[in-house]
Amino acid sequence: MTTRDVTIRVNGVEHHSTTETRRTLVDFLRDELGLTGTHVGCEHGICGACTVLVDGEPVRSCLMLAVQAADASVETIEGLGTPEELSPLQQSFRDSHGFQCGFCTPGFVMTALALLRENPDPTEDEIRHTLSGNICRCTGYQSIVDGVQRAARAGLGSNAEVVR
Amino acid sequence: MTAPATVGSTRTVGSSTLRIEDLRILTGRGRYVDDVKLPGMLHAAFVRSPLAHARIVSIDVSAALALDGVAAVYTGADIAAKTSGVVPLVVPEGHKFEPILALAVDKARFVGDPVAIVVADSRYVAEDACDLIDVEYEPLDAIATFEQALDPGGPKIFESLDSNVLFEMDSSYGDVDGAFARADAVVRQTFSQHRVAQMPMEGRGGVGDFNPETGDFVYHTGTQSPHTVKAYIAEALGIPLQQTRTINGDIGGAFGLKIACHREDIAVCAAAYWLGRPVKWIEDRNEHLQSSGQAREERMELEAAVTSDGTILAMRGELVLDQGAYPAVPFVGGGIVGMVAAMMPGPYALAGFAMKSTVVASNKCTYSAYRGPWAVETWARERMIDVVARHLGLDPGDVRLRNFAPNDGSASMLSGRTLLDNSCAQSLERVLELADYPRLRREQAAARAEGRCVGIGFATFLEAAPGPVNRAGGDERSVARIEPDGTLSIFTSQAPHGQGHETTLAQIASDEMGIALRDVHVYHGDTAVSPYAMFGTGGSRAATMASGSVLHSTRQVKEKVLAIAGEMLEVGPQDLRIDEGFVYPAGVPSIRVSLAEVADRAYQSPEDLPREIEASLEAEASYDGGIGSWSDGTHFCHVEIDLETGQVRFLRYLVVEDCGRMINPAIVEGQIRGGVAQGIGEVLYEWSAYDEEANYLAGTFMDYLLPTASEIPTIEIEHLANEPNEEVFYRGVGEGGLLIAPAAITNAIEDALSPFGATVTEQYLPPAKILELAKIISS
Repeated sequence: MTTRDVTIRVNGVEHHSTTETRRTLVDFLRDELGLTGTHVGCEHGICGACTVLVDGEPVRSCLMLAVQAADASVETIEGLGTPEELSPLQQSFRDSHGFQCGFCTPGFVMTALALLRENPDPTEDEIRHTLSGNICRCTGYQSIVDGVQRAARAGLGSNAEVVR
Repeated sequence: MTAPATVGSTRTVGSSTLRIEDLRILTGRGRYVDDVKLPGMLHAAFVRSPLAHARIVSIDVSAALALDGVAAVYTGADIAAKTSGVVPLVVPEGHKFEPILALAVDKARFVGDPVAIVVADSRYVAEDACDLIDVEYEPLDAIATFEQALDPGGPKIFESLDSNVLFEMDSSYGDVDGAFARADAVVRQTFSQHRVAQMPMEGRGGVGDFNPETGDFVYHTGTQSPHTVKAYIAEALGIPLQQTRTINGDIGGAFGLKIACHREDIAVCAAAYWLGRPVKWIEDRNEHLQSSGQAREERMELEAAVTSDGTILAMRGELVLDQGAYPAVPFVGGGIVGMVAAMMPGPYALAGFAMKSTVVASNKCTYSAYRGPWAVETWARERMIDVVARHLGLDPGDVRLRNFAPNDGSASMLSGRTLLDNSCAQSLERVLELADYPRLRREQAAARAEGRCVGIGFATFLEAAPGPVNRAGGDERSVARIEPDGTLSIFTSQAPHGQGHETTLAQIASDEMGIALRDVHVYHGDTAVSPYAMFGTGGSRAATMASGSVLHSTRQVKEKVLAIAGEMLEVGPQDLRIDEGFVYPAGVPSIRVSLAEVADRAYQSPEDLPREIEASLEAEASYDGGIGSWSDGTHFCHVEIDLETGQVRFLRYLVVEDCGRMINPAIVEGQIRGGVAQGIGEVLYEWSAYDEEANYLAGTFMDYLLPTASEIPTIEIEHLANEPNEEVFYRGVGEGGLLIAPAAITNAIEDALSPFGATVTEQYLPPAKILELAKIISS
């Protein structure tokens, strides 16, 4: 078993760990840090359930090794709002009845967050195109698209979602 | 404190109340089965057959057992020696099956059949060990097609059964022969429905946890049927039912797949039981695609007896369903074909209907329930109506309207159920009006003149949700309880997995009790506290059945509250009202006690109550569905086909439906849109493909294509606001969207391709098939 020492900043907190080199980033987040909000949906980079932001860019954490995220800054769903105080984007999704079973949800939220930071006023086509890397089996997507539009209308600029 | 000004001002039923579940799922605080972590937990992985049909000659597990971190390897021999086979629960008479063991013993019967289970310190090590297990197979000829399965000379999948034909059933209603004898024409067509899969974003999984000290066994999982899974585990392992418990957390979708107890559930529980340590299994997507469950592989040869004015006198047909190798528990293929035959007459006034149904086994994954399991009848019937209309040169809307049974309460389906309270004709007329149908037809003619390929299709469905008076699925139970702090707990036998029952059932209870929604908590999915149900969430039962049960259990508790509050306020209970958690005399809101004070009296100082008043604030109620009725509607689809690429683009997708009174319109619409999206996927993208030797061909999401936000159009929905005629008039909407969307879409595609003489007889229409139907490429 090959291991390596890594330092990964997750939601603003630095974690030092000795991790197996073959461990995926999503397994590292879930099993070593207990951040189970990021879900494993397909393990081959299609469904997007495991989407997190690495240095601000959305990535499939099932396709990335934890050691590849060494010295990077990772944002996960747990870095946004809490049940007591949803972030504005989360609130917009709730107001739109965006999701049903919730398994794909964290991946969509992170993808949408990256989109709105880069493009605070996307068109519906831009939203659909960006979200097409995430699969939802419950909703037919309309409510998710609506949630992103609602967030954009509410003026979520690049600084609106403060990561702790 | 100021009492509420308006009684009933806080009612939420009928409004798109925000979901309670969203607070945790949007923040990553949901708890799905893979989030369960127990002390000392081990991890399981399965060795699966790469062959469709093969004798297992030998299994060498020595290298796997020698690997550091491996706790155990169990093969079919261990399972056969130490567990009992389980049998389906709902089996029509004469349906053949063998008791089902968790692992393949002598033979593997499909690609993905579990052959051994490895338990190790981590999933990584468990998978390493799987690679070290050497299984020697002797390949056998496989059954991959209906023809092979129906051939009496073919290889037998189960040697103890005399053939691969498992069940045959003849259903006949009305005067079929007479109707065919007087028909002006008989229209024949064969409709084939390809194999697809439910494909929830969360696969299957579970954590078995046996406590050798107490003998208690707990299975943490995500099942639609907690009590049924519990019973199967107890039976298979030979442990007492009362010491067995299943616990759901959040469930990442199911769509019928997770109504079954799966063989892997039993293998994982057996490993945990034998090892005395928690064992977790989380299926990966490849396992899910090949081994979890698949649905909908049916073929229907159908003929319709019609008159030249478009009256459909009768239909008769032959149906064959490919059940795969192992039957699902609890529901086998014979139950599905029974539903198909019973539902197929639909809302139409036929004089005769007959169906000869056959269930066969093949070397494929288990056929399992999928959102409207009887859907082939809706698709074939609604396709046939369009084929009839084209044959007779009539408009498909006119043919439907001509054939709808009268909706004055007098009509019944030939197969027995009353058609009372359906809105099929109304929904069709309304959707054509919304679409401006005559104008669209004119525009279509103009578009065709320009060389564009544009099609219009629509279709009408009935969804038994729960259907008229039907106790076949069991009554639905719930328990309501006012807690010591005055909040209301509801314990339901539903096992929600996206339907928002924590919200909708709380809405029902909140309105009935007169308590704020935030003070209602819905508990589900734990057999230690959830009332019994044969199956939990499925069959579109919740809206009527669970709501009715919660309404009545809450009402009974309310009576107990009023009796105690009446003593406290010295007012007769009949003169009391409850609003926002306060009990007060009607018209005098300033004199009041809170539910917390009532609870305090009942729980902490019952000595202050007269002996004849029970100090209980809990009640269980069961609900049988009342008179029950239909959900129904018509879907309308306008498409344009690109004849260079074969791609289908949706110009408009419209739904007009009637599900009675809505508890939460946003949740209703989410169910409908999700179903339509699955229907679009089913027709255009998804196929659980096998080759002619039953090799599985769709093992990744690059082969099994799911529609994304780029492929699913905006789906417009209008609800018909028919007046409810009884108190519990909420109808389920879980299945209707997927039931009918394939018919509306394929009708539109056939309409678009009609200038090329195309008839859509197969439901799967990927671009190559579209171009073939347009005679641009050959098959």
